[in-house]
Amino acid sequence: MSERIERAREEMSKQVDGKVAAYFSSCVRCGLCAEACHFHVETNDPRFAPIYKLEPMRKVWRREQTLGGRLSGFFSSRDELREEDFAEWEELVYDSCNLCGRCSMVCPLGIDLAYMLRRQRSAFAVAGYVPEGMRTALQRTLELGSPMGVSLKTIDATLEQVEKRCGLKVPVDRKGAEYMTIFSSMEVVNFPEYIESLALIFDAAGLSWTLSSRAFEATNAGIQVGDNAAAREIVERIVSAAEELGVRYVISPECGHAYTAIRWEGPNLIGRPYRFEVVHILELLDRLQRDGRLQIGSRSDRPMTLHDPCQIVRRGGVVDPPRHLLAAVASGFVEMRDHGTMNWCCGGGGGVSANERAEQLRLRVFKRKKRQLDELGVDTLVTACANCRIVLEEGLEHYEMDTEVISLTELIAVHLK
Amino acid sequence: MIGAFIDGPLWYFSLTVFLLGVAWRLAGIVRRGVAADLAPARGDAARGALRTIFTRALPRRPVLHGGRVQMIAGYLFHLGLLVLLLFAQPHVDFYAERIAGFGWSTLPHWGFILASEIAFAGLILLWIYRVMNPVTRLLSGFGDHVASLLVFMVMFSGCLALGQSHEALRLLHLFLAELLLLYFPFSSLMHTFTFVLSRGYTGAAMARKGVNA
Amino acid sequence: MHRLWPGLVLLLCLCSSLNVAGQTGSEGIAVPNPGSELWREVRQRSQPLPPGGQSEAPGLALLQEIRQRRLSEMPVGRSQLAGSGAGAVFINSLGDTWRRLRMERLVPIGGYLLGGALLLVLLFYLIRGRVPIRAGRSQHKLYRYSPYERLIHWFIAFNFILLALSGLILLFGRSLLLPWMGPQLFSAVASASKEGHNLFGPLFLLALALIFLQFVRRNIYQKGDLTWLLRGGGVIGKKHVPSNFFNMGEKTMFWMLILVGGVTALSGLVLLFPLFGQGRELMALSHLAHAVTAIVMITVIIGHIYIGTIGMEGALEGMRTGYCDLNWAREHHDWWAQKCEERGETVSAEDVARARGEVSPAHIAEERGR
Repeated sequence: MSERIERAREEMSKQVDGKVAAYFSSCVRCGLCAEACHFHVETNDPRFAPIYKLEPMRKVWRREQTLGGRLSGFFSSRDELREEDFAEWEELVYDSCNLCGRCSMVCPLGIDLAYMLRRQRSAFAVAGYVPEGMRTALQRTLELGSPMGVSLKTIDATLEQVEKRCGLKVPVDRKGAEYMTIFSSMEVVNFPEYIESLALIFDAAGLSWTLSSRAFEATNAGIQVGDNAAAREIVERIVSAAEELGVRYVISPECGHAYTAIRWEGPNLIGRPYRFEVVHILELLDRLQRDGRLQIGSRSDRPMTLHDPCQIVRRGGVVDPPRHLLAAVASGFVEMRDHGTMNWCCGGGGGVSANERAEQLRLRVFKRKKRQLDELGVDTLVTACANCRIVLEEGLEHYEMDTEVISLTELIAVHLK
Repeated sequence: MIGAFIDGPLWYFSLTVFLLGVAWRLAGIVRRGVAADLAPARGDAARGALRTIFTRALPRRPVLHGGRVQMIAGYLFHLGLLVLLLFAQPHVDFYAERIAGFGWSTLPHWGFILASEIAFAGLILLWIYRVMNPVTRLLSGFGDHVASLLVFMVMFSGCLALGQSHEALRLLHLFLAELLLLYFPFSSLMHTFTFVLSRGYTGAAMARKGVNA
Repeated sequence: MHRLWPGLVLLLCLCSSLNVAGQTGSEGIAVPNPGSELWREVRQRSQPLPPGGQSEAPGLALLQEIRQRRLSEMPVGRSQLAGSGAGAVFINSLGDTWRRLRMERLVPIGGYLLGGALLLVLLFYLIRGRVPIRAGRSQHKLYRYSPYERLIHWFIAFNFILLALSGLILLFGRSLLLPWMGPQLFSAVASASKEGHNLFGPLFLLALALIFLQFVRRNIYQKGDLTWLLRGGGVIGKKHVPSNFFNMGEKTMFWMLILVGGVTALSGLVLLFPLFGQGRELMALSHLAHAVTAIVMITVIIGHIYIGTIGMEGALEGMRTGYCDLNWAREHHDWWAQKCEERGETVSAEDVARARGEVSPAHIAEERGR
């Protein structure tokens, strides 16, 4: 057994905390979680039952936490976690799980499967069993500052373009500003309209805001991979930049898992609370609109529906703000059948969109989203996550559907008074 | 002689193993602990925990279709078993004599029988489903089948002893119940107690995030 | 079995004559009554049992005496106990007739019938052997039974077997088990069987209802069923006999289960809940109907199990996995297979294996890429 696997096994053991122990103790193998998972319901493959994806971790739990496991472990090493387990489960753990947490909502025993899968990935990262695409995305983030290789230069060029188009100055490194914004590189590269929309909205609301040239990347590939040291480093960049600028709030962008990373995992990764508050852009917009600082001028009567990004809504708790906002600008807003905390993932979350070898599978399970849209018959899909957006667009194109995907923030900006 | 052993020493032994084993398992979970969440909470964790402990007893719409069988059979089995464990005359008499020292009101005989019919229907359906459905078959290990079989045997021997006319049948029932007690802390039957913890943990974490789980 | 029907008819006659006797007899309390005289006689005779055994038991001589008399001379009396309905008849020779019918007719004939059925199946297997899939296994499968259908099938199977075993113990235990078990053990086994039988009975009725609702539509006789019958269902001769989703044999099995099994279940309920004023005659009749129909059903099910398992290659697969082999379907349910193929409903054996989790956990990407 290599030293790497030995360390991975230790990591796995460390990840089995009281919660995980309670979860495994409670599991009666009823398989209901499979009914909530788009990978299972779209392929009917029993291996995609969420709890089955956790077999390696369960092995460690069984050996350490159960009477039977301890007894048999005392006499033989047969049930020990091995390198083969990592090799065999790598695809189940990374390719067929979006960490979307839908399974966690339906388990009759209340088992939070997404929580366990996230922790299990940490051991896989130590063992070195991580898909190529995700590994390189993390490497780029650590070396260049962004998973897509976006550098300060790229940002500058984008900002210049944005400023030219909206005629507003985007403040950078302004000390004493109240809000600091961060972006996902997807927004910088593919959707600069988002940055433009922010500039317009903040100007209209009279918000004091800034960007940091030291930390503009919000996404955290370390969390998706499960590499906690890397995840900590990425969070620390933002925290130190924000605390140096002395801002009161850091605005998490539309991107879903960036929100989970900075809002919910961040303080735990760096081991202390922040000296600022993290607010999601949708929360902020909702707040501004309620306070009357954000005036909506016109309403669209186009039928629209909302795709809930899992990490913002189900796993992030920003459930109502997108609904208030969308209802304020669109009179034709209708919900899909499974929405809010029960939405179906676009299929690209949890690093799957960065994992090229999973593309076929991702497109296959997109059928669930397609069915939801077909059922509703609405051809404008509003969302609030750059990653969802790109994955949705790819899926829609693959199935030759005429559905337009738009960002909620951009929609608000268009309908400003 | 075997009868005296089953009725005496073995009963106390299995009860002790059961109690100590369950305590050990629960202590193991608590000892592992959960790191304090440093992210500022959006909602009240305690309330969320309490809420989820109860609301997860209700089925969730998204799995109602695919999980119909488990849902219906699961309810039948658990409710039936609960009623006949707690409110059947012979059981209450046994608790009053051996454990509690006092009895409580019991179901009429027909209620007892009805509860066992319901529990049996549920258990048999769940068991067939476990071996039939690809997902549960893949997930189920040796231990899960042993647990199902033991519970069935205990219930079955209990039903055979319903005549209450043969000591041997009562002892068989008691013996199997003792085996079940002995096996309990080693198995997923632990969910009888740990469901409070797992639902509570999830409810608390999700409520902190502002999600009603 | 036909020898049993005269017995039933006789029993019916007995019942009706008894009713008449009951009506002509005194209403309510009628003392003195001829029965009580006899009873007094019995009581006076009741002394501790002589070490000789049962033949000297009190009342036996009396019963023999009653049996020897003709029906019309029967000392029919009425009890002073109210509320026990027709059962209040004091000495009921009907009970004895029933007992004799059960011990002298039902048990031996039923036993021979069941033994014969087993023997027949064995013989058939020795002569005919396992019916193979002639074209061999195909690489394709057809979806035959939904999970729910399989679930209720195994549910009724489970209940049926439990009920059959406990019921057979109750019927034949006295002759087959008692001699080598001894009275103490057998008494416990019989009591256990009775309680188990009673408890699982209602579950069988529930399962029967579910089976009926789910399968009735496919079991209505249709065109072509008769041809299947005339050609012996392919059992006789080697020629290929086409059929629908279910063939005539299976449909007949279904209707026997529903009708004959239904009588078993309903008569079982009459026996299980003596709360609705059903009298002794009805109970005795129910018991006979229960036993006779149950023996018929067990015989039929022996055949069903045989053909479903060792008797025919590929027959169990549908009920086990939900999918059946395409070649099997072509050979045994040709018309159905044709329809499925026309609709393009064949599934590759590989896909079925994957959906059943019979592949290793890894290598998703490559598989999905195809």
